[in-house]
Parts: sequence; C-alpha cells; structure tokens
Amino acid sequence: MTRAINSDMNRFFHRGPSILCIVLALCSVTILIKDLWPFLQNGAGMNALFHPDETDFDQILFHFSTLPRIAMAFICGAGLALAGAAIQTVLRNPLASPTTLGVGAGVEFALTVFLLLAPAALAPFKEAAALAGGMIALGAVYLIASRRANATLWLILAGMIINLMLQSGTQIFLLFNEQYLQSVFMWGAGDLAQNGWDSTQFVLPRLLVGVAVVLLLSRPLDLLALGDDTASSLGARVTILRLLILGFAVFITASVISAAGLIGFIGLAVPAALRIAGLTRSRDLMIYSLLTGGFALLCIDFLVRQMNGLGGDIVPTGAATALIGAPFIILILRKARIMPDQQSEDHHPDQQIVSKNVLSLVLVLGLVTGLGLSLFVSFNGHDFVLLTGGESFHDILLQRSERTFAAVICGAALAVSGTLIQRVGRNPLASPEITGVSSATALAMIIALVFFGFGQRADLMFVGAVGGIISLIILLLLCRKFTHAPHYLLLNGLALTAILGAIVRIALTRSGTQTSMLISWLAGTTYFTRMDEVLIVAGVTVALLIVVIAVRRPLELASFGNDQATSLGLGISGFQFFIMLLAAILAASATLLVGPLSFVGLMAPHLARIAGYRLAGGHLLGAVLIGANVMMVAEWMARNLLYPQQLPTGLIAALIGTAYFLFLAIRKR
Amino acid sequence: MIRHLFLRLFVIAGLTAPLTPQMAHADPITIEHEHGTLKLDAPAKRIAVTNWATTETVIALGLDPVAIADPDDYLDWVAKPDLPENFTDIGLRAAPNMEALRAAKPDLIVISKNLEMAYDSFNAIAPTIVLSVYNNNRDALPEAQKLLETLAKATDRQAEAKAWLDDADVKFAEYGDRVRAAMPPGRALAITQFVSESHIGLYGKSSLPGTVLAKMDLPLAYQGPVNNWGFAKGGVEILGPRAQDTLVYLNPVPDVIREKVWASPVWKILDFVKNDRVYELPVVWAYGGMPSALRFARLLAESMESGPVK
Repeated sequence: MTRAINSDMNRFFHRGPSILCIVLALCSVTILIKDLWPFLQNGAGMNALFHPDETDFDQILFHFSTLPRIAMAFICGAGLALAGAAIQTVLRNPLASPTTLGVGAGVEFALTVFLLLAPAALAPFKEAAALAGGMIALGAVYLIASRRANATLWLILAGMIINLMLQSGTQIFLLFNEQYLQSVFMWGAGDLAQNGWDSTQFVLPRLLVGVAVVLLLSRPLDLLALGDDTASSLGARVTILRLLILGFAVFITASVISAAGLIGFIGLAVPAALRIAGLTRSRDLMIYSLLTGGFALLCIDFLVRQMNGLGGDIVPTGAATALIGAPFIILILRKARIMPDQQSEDHHPDQQIVSKNVLSLVLVLGLVTGLGLSLFVSFNGHDFVLLTGGESFHDILLQRSERTFAAVICGAALAVSGTLIQRVGRNPLASPEITGVSSATALAMIIALVFFGFGQRADLMFVGAVGGIISLIILLLLCRKFTHAPHYLLLNGLALTAILGAIVRIALTRSGTQTSMLISWLAGTTYFTRMDEVLIVAGVTVALLIVVIAVRRPLELASFGNDQATSLGLGISGFQFFIMLLAAILAASATLLVGPLSFVGLMAPHLARIAGYRLAGGHLLGAVLIGANVMMVAEWMARNLLYPQQLPTGLIAALIGTAYFLFLAIRKR
Repeated sequence: MIRHLFLRLFVIAGLTAPLTPQMAHADPITIEHEHGTLKLDAPAKRIAVTNWATTETVIALGLDPVAIADPDDYLDWVAKPDLPENFTDIGLRAAPNMEALRAAKPDLIVISKNLEMAYDSFNAIAPTIVLSVYNNNRDALPEAQKLLETLAKATDRQAEAKAWLDDADVKFAEYGDRVRAAMPPGRALAITQFVSESHIGLYGKSSLPGTVLAKMDLPLAYQGPVNNWGFAKGGVEILGPRAQDTLVYLNPVPDVIREKVWASPVWKILDFVKNDRVYELPVVWAYGGMPSALRFARLLAESMESGPVK
C-alpha cells in the first residue's frame, strides 16, 4: 500500500519541473512581500491586504491595484498554461497554443466591434461579448476541420485562416477609427493594470470551472496521447473527448484574454518546457503547467511593472512575455530535439476542371487584361472612370503603375518563395514568413521608424535590408549542421515572428495618435513604393526565378523527402539550404517593397498545386501567375473600393486568401 | 523629377502671371520646411491639407482648403472651426488618395513628417512642404504658431496671421484670468485623456494643453517624462500623486470606458473625485494647431465657470 503511494508520489514529483516550479514560487512570494513591505513596516499589512483604510491612498492603491494585478497575473498565467497543455496534448502538436485556434483573434474582433458600437448601458457585457467572439471563432474553426481524415492538420490550418480573416477585419475597423481604439491596442498588447477586483471576479470562477473539468478529463487525455486508433480501441469516445477538452481549454483562454488581453506565449512555452523537462503524463503536465504558468507570469509582470513609467510610457505585459518567452522556447526546443511532426502531405484528389494549358492561358490573359484595367479604369465612389488622356495623363499613369507593378512583383516574389519552401519543407502549409527573414526585415524597419524616428524611405529600406541580412546570417549559423534544416528554419521563423508581433504591439501602444500608418504598412501597402525600388525587386525576382527553374530537377527530387533523395545520391541538405536561402531573399525583397505581407506566399503555391501544376517548373510558374493575379486584383480593390479611402493592399489580399480557403474547406466537406 | 517640377512651376507661374498683374513685381516666396526649401512664384491659393492641425490653421487664415483628409472624423475629434462648404475628400490621413488630391488641383500641399516617405509622389502633384507640430520633441504651442506663420507666408497672409495672433494673445490672457478666478484655489491642473478603463494619458509640459497652460500662466500638475506626443501613459496609479490637484479630462470618451472608470474603487478614493474637482471639456483636439490651442483655453475657462462634474 505504502509502496504504491510512494511510487505514485515519485511519479508525480519530477525533479526538473519541481525545481522550476519551486524557484518561481519562491520568487513570487518574495515579490508579494516586497510589494507589501511598506505596509508591514508601519503595521498596516493586514489592513492593506484585507481592509484598506479609506483615507490612505497607498493602501487603497495596493488593495485595489497592485494586489488584483498580482492575482490576475497568477490566474492568467495558470489558466493559459493549463489550456495550452490541454490543447497541445489533444492536438499532439508541441507548437499548438490557444491562439493558433483563432480564439485570440475572435476575442479581439468582438472587443473592437463592441467598443465602437455598444452604448454605455451594455458596458457590463463587454467580457461576455469577447467570450462569445472567441467561442464563435473556435466553432468556425471546428466546423471547417471536423470530419476530415487529417483533423489535426486541418484544425491548425483552419485556425490560421480564421485568425487571418478576423485580424484583417479588426485592422480595417482600426484604420477607420484609430482614435477610439487606444484601449484596443492596450488590450491587444496584454496589459494587466487593474483598478479594482472586477476582472479577477470575472475570471476566477470561470477558471475554476474550466480547471475542474479539464483535470477530470486528464486521465482519458493520456489515452488520447497514444493516438486515435489506440484510444478508440481502449473504448474512449475520441471525438467527444477531444471536443470537450478543447472547448473547455478555449473557454479558459477566452475568459482570461477577454479580461486581460493577449498573453499568448505562456500557453505555448510553459507546457512545452515542462514536457521537455520530463513530464509525460497529461495530468501531471497540467497541474505543473497550472502552477508554473501562474508563477512565471507573476514574475514577468513584476519585471514589467518596474519598467513602467520610464519615458512616460508603459510596457504591456503580454508583449513583454512574448519578448522574453520567444527566444527561450526556441532554445529549449532546439536542445530537446523536439521537432513538430512531419506534417503529412494533404493529398488533394486531382481536380483538374480545366486543363493546365487552358488554365495557364486564362491566367496570363487575366494578368494582361487585369493590368490594362488596373491602369486605365478607376472607381470614384459612384462611377467607373476610364483614364483616356488629359493634362496629367502620364503622371497618373506613372503613379498607378508604380503601385500596380509593386503589388504584382510582390505577388510573384512571394509565390516563388512559398513554392520553394513548400517543396523543400514538404509541407503544404508552409509559407515564406516561416524563414523569419521577412519578420526580421520588418522588425528592423519598425524599430527604426517608431523608436528612433527614421522618416526617410531610403534609410528605412537600408535598415530593413541590414535586418534581413543579419537574420540570414543567424539562419546560417543555426543551420550549419544541415540535418534538420527545414525544421530549424521553421522554429527560427516562429521565434522571429513572435518577437515581431510583440514589438509591433508595443509600438502600437507607444506611437500616440499616428498608429494607422503603422497598421497599413504592417498589413502591406504599396502607398510608399517607388518605381526604382519596384524595378530592383523585379530584377531580383526574375533572376532568382530563372535560377530555380534551372535547378527544377533536383528540386523535384527534394520534394520526395530526405531518405529517398539522399539514397538517390543528392547532397540534399546543402541543396535544401540553398533553396531556403533563395526563398528568404525573395521574401525579404518583397517585405522591403510593401511590408510583411504574407498570405499570398501560402495561397498561390497551394492553389497552383491543387489546380494540377505538379512538377516543380510548372508549379513555380503557375504559382507566380496566381500570386501576381491575386495581388493585382487586391491592389485595384484597395485603391478603389472605398474611394477616396485607400486600404492596405495586404489586407485585401488576406481577405481574398482566407475567403478562398474557407470556400475550399466548405466545398470539400 | 526635379526638372519636371521646375517645368510645372514654370507653367503655373505662366498661367497665373497674366491674371494677377500686381504679382509681376513680387519676389518669389521662399519657404524653409522640414524637407528643404521651396520657392513659390506666387502666393498659394489652393491648399491641400493632410492632417487636422494644418486644416484648422489654414481655415483660421481665412482660406478654404481645397482638399481635406478625414473630414468626417474631424467633426468628431476637432469639431471647430467649421469645414468649408466645398472641398475634396482625400480619404485617410495616413494615406491620402493621390488621384483625388490631383483632381482637386492644389497649388500647395502641406504634409507632416508621417507622410514624408511619399514626398516625391506629393511633389509630383503640386509643390509640397513638410511641417510637423508633433512627434519632434519640441513644445507644441510654439510649433503650432510656426505652422501658422509659415502657412501665412506661403499664402501671403502675414497681416491676417499677425492680427489673429495678437487677438489670440489677448484672449489667452483673458481666459487665463477667467480660469484663475473660477478654478479651485491652490491647485494645479492635471489635464488627462482616458485611454482605456484602466489607463490614462496625462499631458506634460511639451504637449499642446501643457504649453497653453504655460501661456495662460496657469500651473500644470504633471511635469514628469512624456512620450513623443507630449503625454505620459499609465494605470490609474499615476493619478495618485496628482490627487490633491484638479483633474480636467478631454472628450470624447467612449461611454464604456467612462462607466468602468467611475465605478472603480481606486477612482472613487482620489481626492479630486471625493472633493468635486473633476472638470470635463467638450471635444477638443489635443494634437491640433493654434485654433485648437485657443479653443482649449476657452473651453477650459467655460468649464471652470460652469463647475465640476458631479
């Protein structure tokens, strides 16, 4: 009896995770004592904790601001880490997190709309609306992904689509109402400032319910972890369990982030770190995640509080968490050799509605006529206007062609980049931004723009190019042992993208009233491009396209996978690296031209492949044609749809892309 | 590009010269701005504006801008002075529509440094100057006055500008006296804007409200560090040290935020809340030009005279 308990205890107390958890807990206690110290000194400690003196502002502040902030930090960290642990176990993907399922974007969109449209009387329902937004987003993701052969893959794809669609929607709202939405920025950056116990009272009961349910289900989760087949043979009702656990994990997440904002990285980093430290059973993982996540966020938030007020601005906790967490998690993942599962090729049945030749012809014709229409036809809010002549005919034409060609070239460059990455990485859902080079380029430009006040485009381009080159060097260093090149690249890109996201959110809260320019540049805009830049990027794109078409045969072999290709006598890793390098250069060039625009690089190769362009050469050309066409249409719509208002081209491209994937997903059910 | 511009200027000068014979002997106007020096052969008449500080300043000079960005939001956030009857809407301030701008046929375009990256595109449409009041670590009110004077020079309305500024000086002094008479005695003024339910922006010395208070010889409560836009941002705790001062908040404030702030325990305990020293200003643009500065001064006097928010 005692031996059984002992072995149970032994299994529960893992050394690594325990030490981590205890250290963080001790830090948390120290923080609490440090914050309480002034009151302990004058003997008002108990008052400050429980019954603040109505006349003493410091006590009131401690009781209604500092204390709830500490409590919220713990609650949020605990909830998010637990939800992350549950989701990672259910999806069997160590890189999954609540935010990958669209919940964050759903809550953000709901909150944005609510702030703009709801009257004061509805104020108490703000959190409820945010919660509903998150749940609806998850529902949509689940509807798309359910009853598919490869549910895990589709869930993440659907989450990504819903994320992008909702973010684009939010950004359009933001662009037109930037003044009102400072609070959305603050929220989006995940700030934990409190001025009462309301938020705590909102989150705590929900968290307790969620935690209770998820922990009750943790035993069946262990069955799930064995894989669908094993689990169902053991009698678990796999689908229902999955749904239940996911649902409650998201319920926790939505409750937390609707009250405290996006603090995304905790849910990803804490469970992953604990798993590496040796936790395998899901119930242990969850209990440890709960505690470790809570203490970790409490400690990070303490550091953040010390930085607030310097230079008149605040550092939002969520963004700081991502900044601290992103490099850390990559380090862990690299050390532990935990790589994401090789995602299986999602085999689309050949659905050649038209022959490839006809399709190519249509695409070329579409591009040519589209360019003509784009240059000569505009919409002024009431009528379509044909540009026929007039005194400034040439100037107007020049400006329109600058922007149109910038969009088309970008579409082409990202399509090539995406095709290369999808082929070499053998992952149909990979896209140029996973190399991290476009994020690094954008990051360098944003830091120069917001924090150092660079205003000249040439300077920014230079800084951006330097950022891109530095990230290429990092990439080189990371991949010098070529064995896992694509995966290292993926992790590298993930980290850089997370850091970019964090810096952007800090920048948005800092830049006072002029946030819309940042938003439009980040979404991808042709507004600031110039002809000479367009020509340079066009030259780079064409040159690299010729190079990759020249090496299309090895590229074909690379798509088969390491073992086959290596056995065929190809130095696959070096070649993979070379191709990734080209892809990264293309992505960086496109970023320099219009900003970190992304969806086209995912969509164009994907669309080209399922349209029947299977061989590498055709795949590349098909993707280029599709990418160019999509960007051309997006560019025209961005300039004319809401005349005289102009939207960033990237937002329209993202909406077109997500609509396409949704259509595809629904039609193929 | 440069040659192109000169050609254009030459054409404009050629077109306008016969219509305005008295200009024939006038010297060209030279304007120093943030992107270099611009020479105008004749005073600008058709001005296009891409931000609200410039919009209201041009209107104050008695000219109607021919192209205005974000005119609808202007009504919500700047309110006064009224926009002219006829103008071209050129869309978002962050990305003015070049074709709409061209169609408005301006003879001078004024942008701030946020749009400087697109300078060449603007300059291809009409001579363009870059003038910024904000985001440059300088005091707002002198910059706003410089904006007014530069625009007056470009439009040959120096006399109007001088009259306007002299009148403003008198009014600033008069509003200052009225505020002093009506404000709670012995307190400094904390000028704030609610950012969210738990965040507050506190205007500092270099901001427009801060420099206007200095001009009116009134005490500003917050003297600490600020960001590029002249304010400090933080949780409600930054109001703690200001609790003995008088709080003035600017509109608009979304209803959702107001409800939450007023209900919070930390807000209720603050001395200026408990002892009725919270004042509200109607809509006024804290990042505007001279007209907004004067409007802020007048609204502050009126708000003090009509008493605190209950």
